[in-house]
Amino acid sequence: MNNQSLGHIFIDALLINNFVLSVFLGICPFIGVSAKLATAWRMGVAVIFVTLVSSLLAYGTNALLVVLNAEYLRIISFIVIIASTVQLVEMFIKKTSPALFRALGIYLPLITTNCAVLGVALFQTSRQYDFAQSVVFAAGASFGFTIALVLMAVIREKLELSDIPDTVRGTALVLLLAGILSLAFMGFSGMGVES
Amino acid sequence: MTGAHLVQAPSPSENYETFFNGLWKQNPVFVQVLGMCPTLAVTNSVRNALAMGAATLFVLVCSNMLISLVRKRVPKQVRIATYILIIATFVTIVDYLIKALSIAVYKALGPFIALIVVNCMILGRAEAFASRNPPGKAILDGLGMGLGFSFALLCLGAVREVLGAGTFLGVPLFGPRFQPWVLFLLPPGGFLTLALWLLVFRAWQSRKERKQEQWRAAA
Amino acid sequence: MNSQAPSRPPLSTADGIKMVRLLGTVSFVCGLLIVITHRGTLSAIGRNQERLTREAVAELLPGMQRQVVYSVHGGELSKGEGSDRLAGKIYAGYDASGKLLGLVMEASERGYADMIKAMYAYSPSKRCITGFKVLEMKETPGLGDKIATDKNFLENFKQLVYDPDHPIVAVKAGAKKNNWEIDAISGATISSRAVGRMLNRSIREMAPLIERNLRRIEKGE
Repeated sequence: MNNQSLGHIFIDALLINNFVLSVFLGICPFIGVSAKLATAWRMGVAVIFVTLVSSLLAYGTNALLVVLNAEYLRIISFIVIIASTVQLVEMFIKKTSPALFRALGIYLPLITTNCAVLGVALFQTSRQYDFAQSVVFAAGASFGFTIALVLMAVIREKLELSDIPDTVRGTALVLLLAGILSLAFMGFSGMGVES
Repeated sequence: MTGAHLVQAPSPSENYETFFNGLWKQNPVFVQVLGMCPTLAVTNSVRNALAMGAATLFVLVCSNMLISLVRKRVPKQVRIATYILIIATFVTIVDYLIKALSIAVYKALGPFIALIVVNCMILGRAEAFASRNPPGKAILDGLGMGLGFSFALLCLGAVREVLGAGTFLGVPLFGPRFQPWVLFLLPPGGFLTLALWLLVFRAWQSRKERKQEQWRAAA
Repeated sequence: MNSQAPSRPPLSTADGIKMVRLLGTVSFVCGLLIVITHRGTLSAIGRNQERLTREAVAELLPGMQRQVVYSVHGGELSKGEGSDRLAGKIYAGYDASGKLLGLVMEASERGYADMIKAMYAYSPSKRCITGFKVLEMKETPGLGDKIATDKNFLENFKQLVYDPDHPIVAVKAGAKKNNWEIDAISGATISSRAVGRMLNRSIREMAPLIERNLRRIEKGE
């Protein structure tokens, strides 16, 4: 049913409907781990990893559920897939690259409750993407998440030494900045649409 | 079964505190800053905000109750897995219930109903409260937290709908000459409105603290 | 949630069995709850969905008394919903005397912000589009979302001719000269053009199929 081109899907998930700034998915890590650039991009890499793998698995599982006529198990199976993907990725990285594991280690378990990952799985299902579209969508969405996270981290590092009233410090400031970033990202609307 | 547990429940004043803790003092959105995604995403109208609040309240109360019932039998190692399984079950149930009650609401909330699973507030309450308290208290805690969450969504939804569309629950407020402030319906409006509410809460709290200090100094 | 690599004590077999038994029981109870809800709400959900499409179709085909659903599969038309939920659908509406009033089809296209989904009515005898209704969109409130409400814009679809030689296209506001053109909304040109493209593509795909099966559809078979 869905005839969007791969390029459109990618740009759409990356910028136009950025997962954090316009669809509001993955806000918790966006607020929580955007204080330092170094941690922000590591979190981003971990999310890209997990999103891609879980998107593949979710695609397969959904196909299986449709065949079995058991779509009512979709939410449960998706969350189980994500939780186990996080575990698998954790074990895999630990075995293959201890250095990377030390860098990503504590961020991995947090991804289970990152709604961006579950969001990718749910959106690709409800929009009836085929296999290639799903992969491209997962890539675009997770790259978009990382871009937003890194942008926010850069801004927050710059603001560290600024003189900000006590009341505004913390979450409220991050949200104000996110609002401005989100306004900027609205400028991407209509990109790539024939006019 | 619940009745038996309620009998052993502690004094009324403690129940009262459990309930109001979530509603106000430990408000999940304004104080604990949890469950941000649905808070921002579905509050562009009062109706959606209320529907989301009700759905989350239902899941929270049910999962808190069931988790509290099985809390003594769950080994530490599979704790989180069990909780997620239980929460996902009730989310699936609420998903079907909303679809059966109103397709319009279902379409407006979209995938955010399914995303209640990863609302960190629910898993947080399971871990921090329901796994340590009897069912009666856990239900009260779920009610308090769920209502607190709904209250916060309503605060956001009201501001965004009134400014962004000039209506409240779809009823026009300002007459035909009102030029709606569309920005508030769009994503940036969500971020800005929540930031403003947090600022209001913060300012109010710090004023209270200052007053208490003055009291103490005077004493 | 914040499990910072906890050092777990080694598991004994008895513990393992206990764990599996518990998880099994919990899964069983959860599964039971889900299946009960699913079964319990199935008919209500089906009714809701049917009412929703029925109302939309009735709105596009005023005076409709009876409705027949056809599904399109592999370039062929078959009566009924069909087993493939992804298949395109054609809703045929008939008046009290059983005469075909028109056909309603779904179309979608990328708009300014996200996909726009819509339904439109097509009259095979007049060879023109007779109605248009937006089902889902995320166009900018106050600008692009006027495609669902703007009276002048919707006037375009009272009689929009499908001509195999001329594509249906949205032109600048007020520049409409031919009856296969759509007057765009000023300030929402991109959304209006998306509507034009969506109709053009969908009708080009469906019209030949409808033409081939018109006899069948007229009889409601």
